[in-house]
Amino acid sequence: MFNPNNFFTFHIILIVLTLISYFVLTRLLIKDRNYLRAHKDKIMNLHLIGAFFLMTLWMFISMTPQIFIQILLNNVVNVAVLALATTGIVLIFKTSITTNFAQGMIATVGAFMSARIITSLGDPNNLDIGVFLLAILGGVITSFIIGLLVDVFILRKSKYITSIGKQMITMGLVLVLMGAMPLFFNVINSPIPRLDFDIARFNFLGMALTMSMHAIYTLIITVFVLALLFIALNFTKWGLGVRATASNEIVASMMGVNTKMITAMSWAIAGGLGAIAAILYTPGQGIVSVGLMVPIQVNGFMASILGGFSTFTGPLIGAIMIPWLSALFSYYNSLWQGVIVYTLILLIVLVKPLGLFGKKIAKKV
Amino acid sequence: MDYQKHMELTPIKRFLGLTKHPYFGFVVIGLFLALGQVLGQFGVIGTSLVRSFGYTSIYMIVGLGFALLLGYAGLASLGTAGFVGLGTYIMGYLAKTHDLPLILVMMVGIIIAILVGLIVGFISLRIEGMYLAIVTLGLSEIFNEVFKNAYSITNGTNGLSIFGVGASREIAYYTAIGLLILMMIVTFNVMKSPTGRAMLAMKNSDSAAQAMGVSILKYRLLAFIFATVYAVIAGVLYINYAKFTIPTTWSLAYSLNILAAVIVGGSSTIFGIFLGTFLIFGLNLGILQQFEFFATNGAYSVIFNGALIIIVIMFYPGGLSKLVLTLSHKIKKAFKKYKEKWLAYKYGED
Repeated sequence: MFNPNNFFTFHIILIVLTLISYFVLTRLLIKDRNYLRAHKDKIMNLHLIGAFFLMTLWMFISMTPQIFIQILLNNVVNVAVLALATTGIVLIFKTSITTNFAQGMIATVGAFMSARIITSLGDPNNLDIGVFLLAILGGVITSFIIGLLVDVFILRKSKYITSIGKQMITMGLVLVLMGAMPLFFNVINSPIPRLDFDIARFNFLGMALTMSMHAIYTLIITVFVLALLFIALNFTKWGLGVRATASNEIVASMMGVNTKMITAMSWAIAGGLGAIAAILYTPGQGIVSVGLMVPIQVNGFMASILGGFSTFTGPLIGAIMIPWLSALFSYYNSLWQGVIVYTLILLIVLVKPLGLFGKKIAKKV
Repeated sequence: MDYQKHMELTPIKRFLGLTKHPYFGFVVIGLFLALGQVLGQFGVIGTSLVRSFGYTSIYMIVGLGFALLLGYAGLASLGTAGFVGLGTYIMGYLAKTHDLPLILVMMVGIIIAILVGLIVGFISLRIEGMYLAIVTLGLSEIFNEVFKNAYSITNGTNGLSIFGVGASREIAYYTAIGLLILMMIVTFNVMKSPTGRAMLAMKNSDSAAQAMGVSILKYRLLAFIFATVYAVIAGVLYINYAKFTIPTTWSLAYSLNILAAVIVGGSSTIFGIFLGTFLIFGLNLGILQQFEFFATNGAYSVIFNGALIIIVIMFYPGGLSKLVLTLSHKIKKAFKKYKEKWLAYKYGED
């Protein structure tokens, strides 16, 4: 019924066609027509969305719909975790103009803390929900405080360093945290159990689907946290401050925005988001380890450039796309799915250098 | 200098004249590193220390290429690990299957590196800044996936070993040192040549450089070609020395370490890169492990390294080489001041 070779030929043809039609659109059609040029961005977006839609449609048809939806459901945890981690990265990028390599490590410290609370207060195999909530709270607060301290004691003092220099500072932090973690926590056995071991079975349009309860809880927590964050960003004074700091830090501070406070809170909240991600991600991996969040972090960076750093929703959509796409591709070829997804992202970024939803900022010469 | 006059000089004076030559420092560094292996063979210093010297000098070649890219062309890349890994696998595959000599392998490696550099260079024309760093990180991840999955060529996650093929460790060490000296000289010349100046202009302002007639296309491609060629050569030397390569070595952490080495040392001078690489890679292996405290508690040496990076970047953004320069300047100034005081004391105020 399903032929993998056929599938890959279709995708290669689709990608080549997309690139050719992109070239034709930009060089031949739009260039000399003013009425089209005014809507260039929209046309390009429609073009990309069309190509993406065709790709998904082909997948949907070539696997049965049941398998397609089941794969999506199986990877809900990965999507949720990546969404949380990516939001943290973008929040820090917006306020400190640097990519934070320590994000994953700060999150892992939080996960270690909650694992310690779980092992000391209860039995990991048969856990009370109250202890679990306490553990999550403890982990989040730990990462929150670490993020805050990092900003107050290190990043605040190095405001005038280039963004690559700041990047290096966060990398030094990675080393410090990596070395410090085995001294304070049990790196060999720090389990975090699933929130719920049950599996939910349900029927949807005649298709029998399953989803683990852990995934459902993860989804609920993630949606709740992200919704709260987005409401805060759009409707509170802090959110306004973040947006002002992101657009221009010096002018924002002139206008009376307490940029120090804004940046510190952004680091702290990013740490907290990362900790939630790490705690929800650990059950799939068994135990907390020092390198737990490294792949998530790399994917988070990729998601951020796929969506574009200039908005908050763009990276979120990137974070939803990457795990699902790689899971769908891995149904056909479980070895090369990473290469395929990364190549796709590179191609998209080459076509749209500022990401799918990026806004072009005019540069002063 | 006139030949007649040159012959009249005493050997000591001729030697002192030689020390002023810009290449002298590079040769001294090379001889110093070669001395490590000699001492190691006579059992004066431990094998692990010699190994750390060997690896660090190979990594320094990567650092030199990267300094041209970051410090001169102003392009940030996190794809270094992928390129170095590519070099190791080119050598590993060719040496294992065809038993080619090192020089031929290097030729093949350089050709592949130029192609890869061209591709990345073209990417860098469209994407800039942090985005470029992350895109190259993605490229490096793609390389890493290929290393893991192309089982027939790379032997997958088990790693590729070429024990018993090619030169012995000692010969490989001396080859690496020789090439390091050569690369330092090449890099020095590139830095001082019109190419280096054009790259510096491009780093400071794209638009201004273009207005002065510097072709952005040419120099960005050139910068990336330099970086990839250096990285691939270092990769070839690495597997020639270590006889083993495994995908987990060529991950994000390695790229970050190279970046840290160049930033901590200061990317504008070769001496700075030397300091930086030995601080990041050599300090832990070479010096800290000799102390009992750090050898028994491995975690502390990692913390020490991280804290050092943070402190250097926070307080000396220009890097260690700039710090050394400022210090020597201050010492000279103080020396001059005290000399004047001494002269005033000796001969009176006038």
